[in-house]
Order: sequence, then structure tokens, then C-alpha cells
Amino acid sequence: MNMTPKLEHGLVLFLVLMFLIPCGLIVFISGEVPYRLVPGEPVKDAAQAAGITITSVKDTTWNLTGATGGKVYVLTDSSGNVVTMSTQAFNSAESRDAAILLYNAHPVGKGKPVGSLLVVGQYLVYVTPANSGILETIAPELKKTTGP
Amino acid sequence: MSPDATATEGSLPSKKVLGLFALAMINVAAVLSIRNFPSMAIYGWSCIGWYILGAILFLIPISLAGAELATGWPEGGGVYAWVKQAFGEKGGFTALFCEWSNNLVWFPTVLSFIASTLAFALTPGLAVNPWYMFSVMMIAFWGTTAIAYFGEEASTRFSNVGVILGSIIPAVLIILLGLWWLGSGSSLVLPPLTLDAMIPTINFSTLPFFATIVLLFAGMEMAGFHALETRNPQKDFPRAMALSALIIVICTVLATLAIAIVIPADQLSLASGVMQAIQYFFAAAGIAWLVAPMAVLITIGGVVNLGSWLIGPAKGLGIVAEEGNMPPLFDRTNKYGAPVAVLLIQALIGSAISLLYVFLPSVNQAYWILSAMTVELLCIVYILVFAALIRLRYSQPDTPRPFVIPGGMAGVWIVGGLGLFGTTLAFVVGLMPPSFFASNGLAYILSVLLGTFLLAVPPLVFLKFKKASWKKSAGPERCE
Repeated sequence: MNMTPKLEHGLVLFLVLMFLIPCGLIVFISGEVPYRLVPGEPVKDAAQAAGITITSVKDTTWNLTGATGGKVYVLTDSSGNVVTMSTQAFNSAESRDAAILLYNAHPVGKGKPVGSLLVVGQYLVYVTPANSGILETIAPELKKTTGP
Repeated sequence: MSPDATATEGSLPSKKVLGLFALAMINVAAVLSIRNFPSMAIYGWSCIGWYILGAILFLIPISLAGAELATGWPEGGGVYAWVKQAFGEKGGFTALFCEWSNNLVWFPTVLSFIASTLAFALTPGLAVNPWYMFSVMMIAFWGTTAIAYFGEEASTRFSNVGVILGSIIPAVLIILLGLWWLGSGSSLVLPPLTLDAMIPTINFSTLPFFATIVLLFAGMEMAGFHALETRNPQKDFPRAMALSALIIVICTVLATLAIAIVIPADQLSLASGVMQAIQYFFAAAGIAWLVAPMAVLITIGGVVNLGSWLIGPAKGLGIVAEEGNMPPLFDRTNKYGAPVAVLLIQALIGSAISLLYVFLPSVNQAYWILSAMTVELLCIVYILVFAALIRLRYSQPDTPRPFVIPGGMAGVWIVGGLGLFGTTLAFVVGLMPPSFFASNGLAYILSVLLGTFLLAVPPLVFLKFKKASWKKSAGPERCE
């Protein structure tokens, strides 16, 4: 019996699985964020709980289907770091998820998208810059605000 | 055999269809993307500094390195051929495989960009429908794969026309609108230009962006995959590198600035969708009716961008298989010389990952990890290419190189060293977790490293099981 075709097919299967297993695992382990109505202003509540100062707030509506409005917060901490967090509520899970897809479809070159995007119930929170002590402090508070 | 065709051992003859312009357009298609402009415009004048940084640490080194390596070793396989000369089959295969595997993770992002941009031309609300998104993504993906099936000539025509329509014309239009805006005396949203304003802020917060900037010009080596189909590689490669670099830099910098001076940064940051920015821009200029045609052009640009990354590395993998480093199943070519088996496997895997991407979009953090893996895999490719550039000057000093990086060994060390520094630093900072991962940063780093390892390691497995009978010339012709 010729073992070569078996080996070849095994290697093709191996190649396919080497892509699908890690990508699938990363996606499934990360877990979906369910769409549900979160009361209040999550960023404002989380910032206040974390002792971060909100220096300015203004209303905004993103030019995206299903976006119903939100706010742009400029936050500062005692070290002088500044972060802009823009929130936007969406009227359905589909419209929120389409906005997430749009964000991830805009990496710079073959890198990552600018800033970072958090999903909080019906809200998307767009944060620039992606790395900051403020976001590090506020992220756990945001999780508490939104609940399990 | 006609003078316009050559054949590698056991393979089909390659038609010499590529000249200077076609080669340059392959690079432009791979690198120039309108999608980047609004994201970079957020940085205002400092985008100039970021671009300069990207040019010094990557664009100039990779262009020079690509020109020297492609003219010295004008063989099929691009980075595979270059790195193999320096570090053997294992190194070459790993470099090529990383270039191929990062695409499979990246394809869903460019595909969803194509679908959402086309929706803007039809009905923006369509982008909310996952079935619309998936259908368009699959049509674009399999359609581009079908074009690749018809070989180099068809792909080249598609690339030449598409890159002009979908990348260069939209970029030039944006630049002209920016100039018109300046000339009309309309108010600029940026403060006056100063030297300080152009210098980017580099600190802990912006360091991860560094990895993105370094790889902003990734793809300049793409023409190297088409060496076998190039009429006069020794003469045309360096010129094509210079021409494509010039087009890319002029279009990218000027179009980004045009957007930055017209659209306020807080409008740009709203998810940074390119069509949202274009809509704002065109409405401000009083030509809102041009938004839909522009969306169609940018969609074409997205498809061409996809095509260049889809075809080049797949051709390279076909060469690797022909040389007997992969089972014969992978080296199947059709009568047009296209690596059909690789294209098919690539399309199947890409489709499966796209399915996850569209129907599980709220797994946002997972996509961040996958983007990070793309960055790491690309860095491995370029680290190997720059290292090969330096090593080959020592190991094969007498190989004729019609284009030589000026400055002798010092010149090659400066060019290769800058490229190595940029890509190694990008690899390291690419591992930095964004702040929302702060509580489980270690898990993030391990996920990215493990994912990168798994997507880089298959060449070692293939070489472990390699058989002499796998070489194309060892058996009967396997073309369909």
C-alpha cells in the first residue's frame, strides 16, 4: 500500500488546521459581548469611580447606520495624561456589530487600527490613544459598570 | 522556446509579460491604500513625522534591499529565493510562509473593507446585514482568486487598470480637493505648520503605533514574486522600486494632509471609516454627488490591494512546492501557469476565517490579537530579508548585482541595519497589549506569540517529512 498520498493529505489537513484552530480558539475564547441596554453613561460613571477627571464633554453622533448618539469625553489624570473617549449607542445588535466590523476593517497598512474600540452593551467606546494609564485604570471600572 | 519565455526545471514556461510600469503597479497596488489616509490624518501635521519615520526605518531600506536582491537573484519566489540564498531552504521557506500566512489572517479585514465601502455606493444600511457583507466578501475573494487562475497576463491587466482607477485617481482627487480648499481661502482645521507640529510624540502611549507605522509600507517586495515573468529584471526592478516608492509617498502624504486640513480630528476619529471621511470632505467641498462614484473607485482599489497580496505569495508557495519542499498536491499549476492548488487552499482557509469575522464581530478583542499576529508574522519576513541582504554581501560577494546599494559594506549595513532595527522594534512593540487588556496582559502576549508560532512553523514540519519524489522534475508532469 502506498503511504505517500496519506502523508500528503495529512499534511494538507495539518496546514488547514494550523490556521483554523488558533484563529477559531482565539475567537471563541475571547467570547462575544452581548447586546443589552446599559443604563446611564458608562464612561462618565467609570471615570468618576476611578478618580479620573473629565475635562470636557460634548454630544456626537457617528455617521453610521443605527447610531443613535453619544458623547466625546476628554479625560485627564493626575500625571497629566490625556485620553479621548467617544461613546456611541446603537439601536440594534446588528448595527453595533457592523460598526465593530467597520473599525476592524480599517487597519493602517497591514497593522492595527488607530486607537482601540471597547464594546459595552449597546455602546461602542472609541479610545485614542490605545495605550494609556487612564484606559488601564478605567477599563476594570467599565467592566464593573456594565456588569456580568 | 520563444525568447520571451523561460522555464525552470520541470515547470511550465513563464511568459515574459511584465515591464517597468507593470512591476511598479504591482507594488503600488500592494501598498497604496486610501483606507489609511483618514486614520493617519487624525495625527494632523505630525503624520508627516510618522511618515518620515516609516520611510527611514522601512520604505527606503526595503526598496533598496528589494532592488539589490531582485536584480542579484531574479528567480521566482521573491523573498523565498532571496532568503534561501542566505540562510538555506529552511529560512527561505519560513520567510515566504510567514508572508503567505499573515495574509490569511488579514484577508477578512480587507474583504470587509471592500464590502462596507461598496455598501456606501449602494445603500449604506446594507453594511449592517451580515449576509450582504459575507456575500460581497466571498464574491470579491473568489473573484480575485479566479483572476489569479488565469495567470500573470490577466492579473497584470487587472492590477494595472485597477490600481489607477481605485488607488491613484482617488488619491489624486483628494489631493486636488485639498489644493482647491487651500486656494479658496477656506479655513483650515489644523494650526499653522511648524517644525514642532510635524514631530510625532513618541512615548508609552504611542509606542504600539510605531509597529503600525513601520509596516505602513509593507508590500514593496511584492514585485519580486513576479521575477520569472519580468522581461528585463536587472534593469526594471530598481526602476520599478523607485517609481512605486515615489507614487506611494506622494499620494499618501499629500492625500493624508488634504484630509487633515479639511476634516476636524474629532470627525475623523468616529470609527475612522474612509467613506465617512470622504462624505464629510466632499460635502464640505460641495460635491456630495461624487461620494457614490468615489466609493466604487475605492472598492476597486480594495480589490486590487487584495489581489496583489493574494497572488504574489501564492505564486511563491507554488515555487516552493515545485522545488519539492511541499507535497506534489501543492505544486499543481494550470495551463496559465497559476498555482491552482495553493490558490484553492488559500481561498478555502480565507473563507472560513471570514465567516468567523462576519458572524462573530463582537469578539472585538480577538481581532486585535489576530491583527497583532499579522504584524508579528510580517516582521519575521522582513527581519529575514534584511538579514539576508547583509549576509549575502559576505557569502556571495561576487554574484553580479546589476543594482548595488551604494556605499559598499557600510552602505549595506546602514540600509540593512535601519530595516532590521525598525522591524525588530516593531516586532517587540507589536507585542505590547493595549490598555484594555491590562488585567491579562501576559495572556495577551502569550496568545500572540503562540498564534504567531503556529502560523510560522508549518515549513519546518513540511521539511521534516520532505521526500525526494516531491520535486516536480522527479515525476511525470503534474499540470492539469
